Amino acid sequence: MSWFELNEEKFHHCCQLILQQSEQLSDGWIWEVVQGSKEGYLRKTALRSVTIDSKSVQKQKGSSLDPEPHTSYHSSVEQQGQEDEQPDCIKDDIDDEDAGICMMTANSSQVLQFEYHILYSCSYSSPVLYFRAFTLEGRSLTLEEVWNSVHPNFRLCLQNSPLDTITQQEHPLLGQPFFVLHPCRTKDFMRPVLQAAQDQHRPVNYVLSWLSVVGPVVGLDVPLKYSTQLHPAASLSSTEPD
Amino acid sequence: MSDSAESPTETQKEEPQPPADDSATSEEKKKIDVLLKAVGDTPIMKTKKWAVDRGRTVQSLAQFISRFLKLDGNEQLFIYVNQSFAPSPDQEVGVLFDCFGSDGKLVLHYCKSQAWG
Repeated sequence: MSWFELNEEKFHHCCQLILQQSEQLSDGWIWEVVQGSKEGYLRKTALRSVTIDSKSVQKQKGSSLDPEPHTSYHSSVEQQGQEDEQPDCIKDDIDDEDAGICMMTANSSQVLQFEYHILYSCSYSSPVLYFRAFTLEGRSLTLEEVWNSVHPNFRLCLQNSPLDTITQQEHPLLGQPFFVLHPCRTKDFMRPVLQAAQDQHRPVNYVLSWLSVVGPVVGLDVPLKYSTQLHPAASLSSTEPD
Repeated sequence: MSDSAESPTETQKEEPQPPADDSATSEEKKKIDVLLKAVGDTPIMKTKKWAVDRGRTVQSLAQFISRFLKLDGNEQLFIYVNQSFAPSPDQEVGVLFDCFGSDGKLVLHYCKSQAWG
């Protein structure tokens, strides 16, 4: 077992820490135990207002898709010719220009109920995020609708390999159909975090760090306070090696 | 202190930015200093230190870095704060600075990875 892998015991431990913090923050996570077994998982239900695009996302050449209909953020840095590298600039400004392109495709905005489960995967030695979504009338979302509700930040990657990203599978403990965020890349994006933590002899909650990466993909917000509680800014060392 | 070769002067975050090359900040937006650090075999940005509007989102910054590094569609950029978690794409960098900034700047580590599958 390599040092950046998560065993089940550690998974449980990380989950308990999250539960404690969740209670303080009233974030709504609970621990569910499967009857007759030692296995359990974290669960949370949340209402989420989603703008579901019926058409697929535009090419993200110069647009910044913003999930909030009432705010728009223009990212038009390429208009400043940033692609030609700035020569000896020590410091530069990332400026917004008013002529920025904002592509808003607010087709329908509706409130959906999402249910998120965090389970442990023995095959991948990592946490896995299962979720399902319903309209308020109780209709479950289709896979396509779920793909269309993914955060724009990740939508381009999702489009390139949708089946590798979010698929529908049977929940290993409940036996019901759920959507699952594929865990095969978990080690890749966890490695930098764990490596840094090890270098600095600083504890990191594997599940929390993992959740901060995967949660936003499917609309699960992980409040900043989870991380400020663990690592007060004052304790940050600025003498880290380059 | 790292990056000593790149930061001859420390800009006070309260004072308005002295117009270096582009003096595009006509409005009184507050900017924060962000230091971008590459992780792993991710390409290193030639310019590491940036002055960023407080209201800019993480997603917007990630898109900027991706374009700057010319990442293709298959690659996802991950940004980490404190080297311990990934801020939500909708999070404003100003808030991150307030919580996690030190020595007048917010250090963000970025890492590119193959897309999820």
